[in-house]
Amino acid sequence: MDDLHPYMFWLIAPLTGLCAIATVITQNIVRSATWLLFTLAGTSSIFFLLGADLVGAIQLLVYVGGTMVLVIFGVMLTAQGPFITMKTSGAEWAISIVAGIMLFAVLGFGATHYVRSSAERAKETVPENPKDSRNSTTIGQGLLGVPVGPSDPKMPSQTIHYLLPFEIVSVHLLVVLIGAAYLARTKRRKEEEAAP
Amino acid sequence: MPDLSEKPGLLFVLATLLPLAGFTLLLTVAAIRWALRPYAAESPTADAVFKALGGEVTGRGPAYVALGSIALAFLCCVVGFVWFCIDAAHMHHLEHDIRHYEAEHAEPHHHGPGKAKKKAKDEPADEAAKEKAAKAKADAKTKHDQNVGDYNRLTKNWEGALEWARIFPSKDNVADTKHGTLLTLGFRIDMLSAVMFVMVTLIATLIHLFSIGYMSEELQETVEDHEVHTAHGHYHRRGRYGRFFMFLSLFCFSMLNLILADNLFQIFVSWELVGICSYLLIGFYFERTSASNAANKAFITNRVGDAGFIIGLLIVWTYFGTFNFQEIFSRVRCPERDADDVILINEKPAGHSIVRAKTDRVLKTGRFVKLDSNGDVALIFPRERIMGNVPGHFHGPSSTTAVHDSPRSREYGFIPYWLLVVAGLGIFLGCVGKSAQFPLQVWLPDAMEGPTPVSALIHAATMVAAGVYLVGRCYPLFTPEVLLTIAYIGGITLFVAASIAMVVTDIKKVLAYSTVSQLGYMMLALGVGGWTAGLLHLLTHAFFKALLFLGSGSVIYGCHHQQDMLKMGGLFDKMKITALTMLVGVLAIAGTPFFSGWYSKDEILVAAFGFSMTHPQHFLLFLLPLVTAGITTFYMFRMWFMTFTGEPRDEHVYKHAEETPWVMTTPLVILAIFSVGVAWGWPPHDPEHSWLGQQLHHYSQPAAVDVDFKASHELLHGTPSYHTMVGMLALAVVAIGVAFALVLYYYNVLDPNEAVEQFPGVHKFLLHKWYFDELYSALLVRPGLIFAHWCSGFDTIVINGFVHLVAKWNMFVSYVSGLFDKGIIDGSVNLLADVSYSVGNWLRNVQTGYLRSYVLFLALAAMAIWMLLYAWATAMGGP
Amino acid sequence: MNELDPLLGYLCLAALLFTCGVVCMATKRNAIGVLIGVELVLNGANVNFVAFSRYHPNFQVEGMIFALFVIVMAAGEAATALAIVLNFYNNHSTVDVDSADELKG
Repeated sequence: MDDLHPYMFWLIAPLTGLCAIATVITQNIVRSATWLLFTLAGTSSIFFLLGADLVGAIQLLVYVGGTMVLVIFGVMLTAQGPFITMKTSGAEWAISIVAGIMLFAVLGFGATHYVRSSAERAKETVPENPKDSRNSTTIGQGLLGVPVGPSDPKMPSQTIHYLLPFEIVSVHLLVVLIGAAYLARTKRRKEEEAAP
Repeated sequence: MPDLSEKPGLLFVLATLLPLAGFTLLLTVAAIRWALRPYAAESPTADAVFKALGGEVTGRGPAYVALGSIALAFLCCVVGFVWFCIDAAHMHHLEHDIRHYEAEHAEPHHHGPGKAKKKAKDEPADEAAKEKAAKAKADAKTKHDQNVGDYNRLTKNWEGALEWARIFPSKDNVADTKHGTLLTLGFRIDMLSAVMFVMVTLIATLIHLFSIGYMSEELQETVEDHEVHTAHGHYHRRGRYGRFFMFLSLFCFSMLNLILADNLFQIFVSWELVGICSYLLIGFYFERTSASNAANKAFITNRVGDAGFIIGLLIVWTYFGTFNFQEIFSRVRCPERDADDVILINEKPAGHSIVRAKTDRVLKTGRFVKLDSNGDVALIFPRERIMGNVPGHFHGPSSTTAVHDSPRSREYGFIPYWLLVVAGLGIFLGCVGKSAQFPLQVWLPDAMEGPTPVSALIHAATMVAAGVYLVGRCYPLFTPEVLLTIAYIGGITLFVAASIAMVVTDIKKVLAYSTVSQLGYMMLALGVGGWTAGLLHLLTHAFFKALLFLGSGSVIYGCHHQQDMLKMGGLFDKMKITALTMLVGVLAIAGTPFFSGWYSKDEILVAAFGFSMTHPQHFLLFLLPLVTAGITTFYMFRMWFMTFTGEPRDEHVYKHAEETPWVMTTPLVILAIFSVGVAWGWPPHDPEHSWLGQQLHHYSQPAAVDVDFKASHELLHGTPSYHTMVGMLALAVVAIGVAFALVLYYYNVLDPNEAVEQFPGVHKFLLHKWYFDELYSALLVRPGLIFAHWCSGFDTIVINGFVHLVAKWNMFVSYVSGLFDKGIIDGSVNLLADVSYSVGNWLRNVQTGYLRSYVLFLALAAMAIWMLLYAWATAMGGP
Repeated sequence: MNELDPLLGYLCLAALLFTCGVVCMATKRNAIGVLIGVELVLNGANVNFVAFSRYHPNFQVEGMIFALFVIVMAAGEAATALAIVLNFYNNHSTVDVDSADELKG
């Protein structure tokens, strides 16, 4: 597997990148959504490739399964003839692409710079077998409050757990969903009131 | 208040103040009525008071108040006059004694050697004689001192003064340094003022009485003025009975105060007061344009005279530091004697003359003078030379006399001679205006617009005489040049006015011109040395002119306000009393023997004759009055004949004519009596022995008159036949005048119209009053108007133009300043604002509202921040 | 260097995704398109998290947990965003974000 890793990466990553580019370029919103689906799938396979099985799985479930459904629904609810393809002017495209290339260059430079600068420092700290500490059990324990992860050698008593963020995210998600439902319903009720 | 017996002069003060009290009372009541009238309808109290004060129609109350006050004043004057006559005779004797003593006991230092010889001769006389002489001398001295005391006491009895305002002179040595210069309200009674008092109050009383009848039309609540036409017919107004008598009272006060005054300033104030009364009464029917114009004319013409008066006053004030007559005269006229002897100049007594000199060497405080009868200055003499007790040692002027530029009261000073002349001319100009003399005579005939009693009182008998009175009063101040001017002005006036009077047909205008003419006689007399004659004529004229005016008023009243003689005639049957009394007046003014006018006019002619005899180049001064005497007779008889005899020219007027009531005829009769007999004396055939004239001559005539006209007087005294000759000449002229009048207007032998046709030019010339009005209009009024228009044009064009130019220039500067403000100041601010705005507007474009562009900016900003941080980190030497 | 090369690749892929997301947001006029762009950006971030959890010893658990949080948040965000889009559509009868220019200066 380790041997295959670079190959797999070089197989999946360009596909994912191309799909992302296609998402941007496509003028048809339906196709754009479809290319996004592929991009998300590609990303999840990247996660798998990085050994993050749980994240990859959740990516597939939540994103590809849930979020994409929402997006598709949105497209379907609003996609009337003229809105499926709404063209942007050439000038905007040019500006956006130039800005995008610059952004990419900056990010790429930053990444390269980081990788180079931290290469010597982080040589020894690269984990030999990451799989041990990266399974679903560890993550689930971390979310439920069990200290996980490597303890800081300088501060051995300090351990990290993620119960509180987990709870906050849960509540946040609940609020978001209620809010979404409320927002989605408000107008309709008004229309009903206005109808009679 | 001092006892009257101690100060009988106060009787005259009382007489002066009584009419003022009457005026004040009437004015107060009138003011209360005026204030209450609007409320009378509302408030019962106001109504009651209003009714109590006379209501809408005042009734005759005001007339009784005014008449009562002036009649009381008359009584005071009569008592005062009698009293004064007694005192005056006493004072005259005392003065004579004092002078005699002084002449006897003077110490003639100048003629020392002669006296010394005399003394040496006396030495051997025995002791007894010497003692006797000494005793007599002591007795005489005691008597003298007593005389002086009595004299001073009596003098004090008839004078008094009230400090009014004290003005400290700018140059502290002009006047009395101790007291500053005083403006006083003072009185000093001499024979002239005492007689004038009686005359004025008597005539005023009679005219008040006459007015009660004459003005009765004004008693109505509504008076219809037939001479004022409005859109609704004749003008209707409220009766002005009370107002008339109020003005009369004020006038009486002013006139009496003028006579009472002992100083020029008080006279000037009264002068203006009588002027204003005259103005008010001429304009009594002020709704009539002619009346209001006449009032204005009188007032303005008098202002011209008063301007001269003020100039005279200023010169007097500046050089003499006082307005008091006695002080002025004692400083301008040389005293008779100094501490040693009679003052001699060029070997002649110089008393009572104006001493001229040339200024010689200049000193620090003044200069030396050299006496010179043609010198350019006149001496001002030291003031404190009270009779009998000369303070200090006073020396008469000599070639070594030092004069001061601004003399103290005990020092010699000097006044430029020409200024003394100007002062005299200025004061005389005031008199010219007031007495309607030659250049300023135009106002008096127009003044006949006033009610006839006013014409009688003010414009004939009293006020116009004030000018003559003042000339007589100020006589010692006048230099020979001024006196000559006075004489000529009088001569011209009397002839011009008389010539106009010949052709005038308005009965009042005839009298007006006759008044001007008679005033000219008086002025002439004063100017040629007939001081007594002039002032006697003033008195007699006052009576017969008042009589004539009241008579004409009676005629006018009887004919229902018809004044034109061409519409009268044959009125003798209708109004006998009026006609006869007026005939007395006519005879008096004509100079019929034994009528009062004869005495005074004869004296005037004699004085004029004497003057022209001694100054042959001035023969006109005798010729003019002589001829005019005939003219006067002619026009007066013409008036009388036209009015009272012959066939009635206007049936309507004749039919309604009637004799006037007793209130009007009584004054006529009384005045007629006075017109006949006021100047009588003993023997009655000699005008020089007129009692009144003698009184004036002895007690009041300034000694200066005899000095100034010494030659003329000596000639007349030396040749008594001149009197008879002049008298005969005058009578002949009068007879000729009467004859002409009889021929033309009584017997109608000649038709006056034919006579007129013979000389149409002359007639027209006279009818137009010698074209004086036209001349003044062309010379003064028109140029005045043109000048006024020119001034107005100057105002409009130059002044306004300049103002407009300034305004335009201002506008221009403002415009430029505005441009600067707008361009530079506002511009910079606006530029800032514009830049801010455009930058904001440009930046606004950034806020597209497009979500997508925000995203782009977000990305770019993040990139920029990152790059900046990197660049910073690199620059800080980091990796 | 061999060990680190993969990280660089992942980072570059994440950068590409991120950039694509941004460009997508900038160019798409359709509101759903913008939403899609947001998803891409979040995915780019997720790739970074997971890559660092693999290659950085300090982030072995944290990277994945944060990735999970991001995924959950993305889901909520998507729901909310869709609700907004639907409302927007009701109000404007369009999903063109350019017509929502009320914030224009």
